[in-house]
Amino acid sequence: MTGELYDLIIIGAGPAGMTAAVYCLRKGLRTMVLSKDIGGQANWTTLVENYMGFMEISGPELMQRFEDQLKKEKANLVNDEAVDLVQHGGAFTVKGKTTGEHRGRAVIVATGKRPKKLGVQGEEQFKGKGVSYCSTCDAPLFRETAVAVVGGGNSGVQAVLDLLANQARQIFLVTNQELTADQVLVKQIIDHPKVRLYLHSQVTEIHGEQMITAVSVQSQKTGLKEQLPVEGVFVEIGLEPNSEFLQVLRKNNLGEVVIDCECRTNLPGVFAAGDVTNIPEKQIIVACGEGAKAAIKAWEYLTHSGERKVEAE
Amino acid sequence: MAEVTVYTTSTCPWCTRLKDFLRAEGVSFNEVDVGKDPTAAKRMVELTGQRSVPVTTIGDQIIIGYDPDGIKELLG
Repeated sequence: MTGELYDLIIIGAGPAGMTAAVYCLRKGLRTMVLSKDIGGQANWTTLVENYMGFMEISGPELMQRFEDQLKKEKANLVNDEAVDLVQHGGAFTVKGKTTGEHRGRAVIVATGKRPKKLGVQGEEQFKGKGVSYCSTCDAPLFRETAVAVVGGGNSGVQAVLDLLANQARQIFLVTNQELTADQVLVKQIIDHPKVRLYLHSQVTEIHGEQMITAVSVQSQKTGLKEQLPVEGVFVEIGLEPNSEFLQVLRKNNLGEVVIDCECRTNLPGVFAAGDVTNIPEKQIIVACGEGAKAAIKAWEYLTHSGERKVEAE
Repeated sequence: MAEVTVYTTSTCPWCTRLKDFLRAEGVSFNEVDVGKDPTAAKRMVELTGQRSVPVTTIGDQIIIGYDPDGIKELLG
């Protein structure tokens, strides 16, 4: 365990965590930011056109600017993944995977979300060998090949469009329901000669040797199985919160940390912000706002008036 | 110092971040855009066993994905 007792430990350094950190540091709080990466999901975004002050900017570039601002405030940034959060008397211990235990008087959880996995045989084995969770990154590597895309929401259909733009030979779009993407996207693929739809179907196994050679798809209506020859499988079935280690916090049925309108969790002294929470709008600008709110509420909690306020409820 | 090569695609946000990291660390590197060069893409797959970017080679060592710690460790 490190000896220092921080005022605040912020877990996560995406838009919410970095914004919270800047606010806390400017309030003079002794703050540690514990995160396995910087930028989080915002790094996956090719182009951001709705973050005020920037007509257009790439996700990584925007996050680089956040990081620069964080470093200007001389943040104590620890590169590690949080694996446990427990309360000890009036303080909290956050355990890092490799750096051990860190103690703080209050905590802000801002761990974001990650891509959901299919959970089928072959997925882990062929990750990076045909299985991809980033069509903007990897679509150019599947020119003139057949690929499967799993997921019928906006990100799934966008992956199909990315692959079409990169001259994929054939695309099998597999979804366990109807297409739920916006009509403006669906219209672009629905009658495309290179796209074959497998609605109400699911991928049951990914096959290959060194690389992917095929994928098994089963119809949920008929039970019929089909093996499709593909070299790639793009998984676009949504996101799930990085919240497994937060055993002490109340979560909803999606695994999101439940907070009130002041970013308070069920545990006084622990606040949460951004995509890991039950706040419905998953946007960079919303995450920043929530991060700022969480920081101000944590600061209030750490001051005499804040403690009084919490105790009175 | 061993030669550093980064395999990228122009639309890959993690590739951009990786290149920014290398520049900030003062590391000289060659960039191969495998999205624009199918022959280079094939070579990358044969060399690294990966069909995903970014991939970084440092001499004969391979780093998969955006892994600044791994790169720092290999570069000493």
